[in-house]
Amino acid sequence: MKIDPRTKIIIVFLISSAAVMITELSSLLFLLLLTLILCRLFSVALSGPIKKLRKLLYFLVVLALIQSIFTPGGEVLVTAGGMRILTTAGLETGISIIIRMSVIVFSALIIASAPAMDVVYGLIAMKLPYEIAFMVLLSIKFLPLFREEFADSLTAVQLAGADLVKIPLKQKLSLYSYVLTPSVIKALNRARFISLSMESRGFRAYPDRTSYCKLSMRGMDYVAIIAASAAVLLVVSYNFNIIG
Amino acid sequence: MSFYTINSLTFSYAKTDKLFQNISFDIDVNQHIGLVGPNGCGKTSLVKLMLGILRPRGGEIYLEGSNIKDISLSDVGKKVGYVFQNPDKQLFCPTVLEQMRFSFTYGSSEPGEDIDDKINYYLKTFDLIQYKNFSPVKLSRGEKQRLALASVLSRNVKFLILDEPSTGLDILRKKELENCLMTLKQEGKGYMIISHEAKFLDKYVDQLLRLRPEGVEYV
Repeated sequence: MKIDPRTKIIIVFLISSAAVMITELSSLLFLLLLTLILCRLFSVALSGPIKKLRKLLYFLVVLALIQSIFTPGGEVLVTAGGMRILTTAGLETGISIIIRMSVIVFSALIIASAPAMDVVYGLIAMKLPYEIAFMVLLSIKFLPLFREEFADSLTAVQLAGADLVKIPLKQKLSLYSYVLTPSVIKALNRARFISLSMESRGFRAYPDRTSYCKLSMRGMDYVAIIAASAAVLLVVSYNFNIIG
Repeated sequence: MSFYTINSLTFSYAKTDKLFQNISFDIDVNQHIGLVGPNGCGKTSLVKLMLGILRPRGGEIYLEGSNIKDISLSDVGKKVGYVFQNPDKQLFCPTVLEQMRFSFTYGSSEPGEDIDDKINYYLKTFDLIQYKNFSPVKLSRGEKQRLALASVLSRNVKFLILDEPSTGLDILRKKELENCLMTLKQEGKGYMIISHEAKFLDKYVDQLLRLRPEGVEYV
């Protein structure tokens, strides 16, 4: 059954807001479980994004480790030269960060499962000015565009004979600065061409914009929003000890 | 031993819909080949596989006897020069001169080689000397194509792969490219050119390799 994009936007807004509010580790785990169940219900394929997330895991672990080092409290787990490196409170904070980030990323996949134009129509139907809605679409497209440009430049650098593994760190850093600037310029240029193309087709020529696509909320959408809101409310209440 | 040995190569972007299947051929280091085929048949993908940018679904590619999957991109780049179909993807340095110098600074150069002379020669050949302090981003499509060609031709590689090198070149610059190809031939260096220009290929390649979904054949 086709779900209205507004339903997905509202549910993702609720989940990501809850992820920011919730502080307890157990509540965050419940929220992650809820997000994964919703992904399953919305037929979001998780295997591909999980593979991509594995590359990010190293960064998340480092982030969690830094957080845990600077968070005092709890029992000391690891010390070095009399200095507390890891405590139970620090470890809890670190794990919380990883789970919070996972909740935000997985919930975003629910929106990503809808066609990009449907999301734009959904935002317009939610009374967002259409210029802003299209801006959101372009900014979502910008990141993969930038990633593609950067990857292409890195391939070109290596094919020009530069060994990214063997060269000294100082040279490697200057190499990345070499690649970064043109990648940003190229991605910006491509974004500029897209906006030119849109304007040449009459974008922003009139204050309003009509569309063949008419969205309509059905019973299933209301059920999904109410059920997801209740579940999120339950997790938030559990976190703040209102229930349980 | 052949320079390139392609053995039962199969490739597809999705798990289904194979672009080509079980293709096999050899290339010698001093061979001059034209790769032809209709749009979308996978010519550029085949070249990207030969460079190790893409990974095959099946089969193997050997470069000088070593499986391409065991060689780093930079090591491939030291042996094979590649001119991308889209020069924008190839140019990453802040200035034209730095783009020309890049391979010599970060890659390799032969002892006693006068790099500046060599760079100036190719900048003059492709009429780019006046732009040497310009950012490549600011060049026109044709100028970018010329810079991509100049930076690859100036390098000490054994074999070149040129993906539609004459696109965006005017008659004069095409003539310069043709002169460079003649020089490469005289130096005994091999190359493979992807092009749709039959006349251009007839003049500068010895054999045509036609790519089809069911296989390749020398014509």
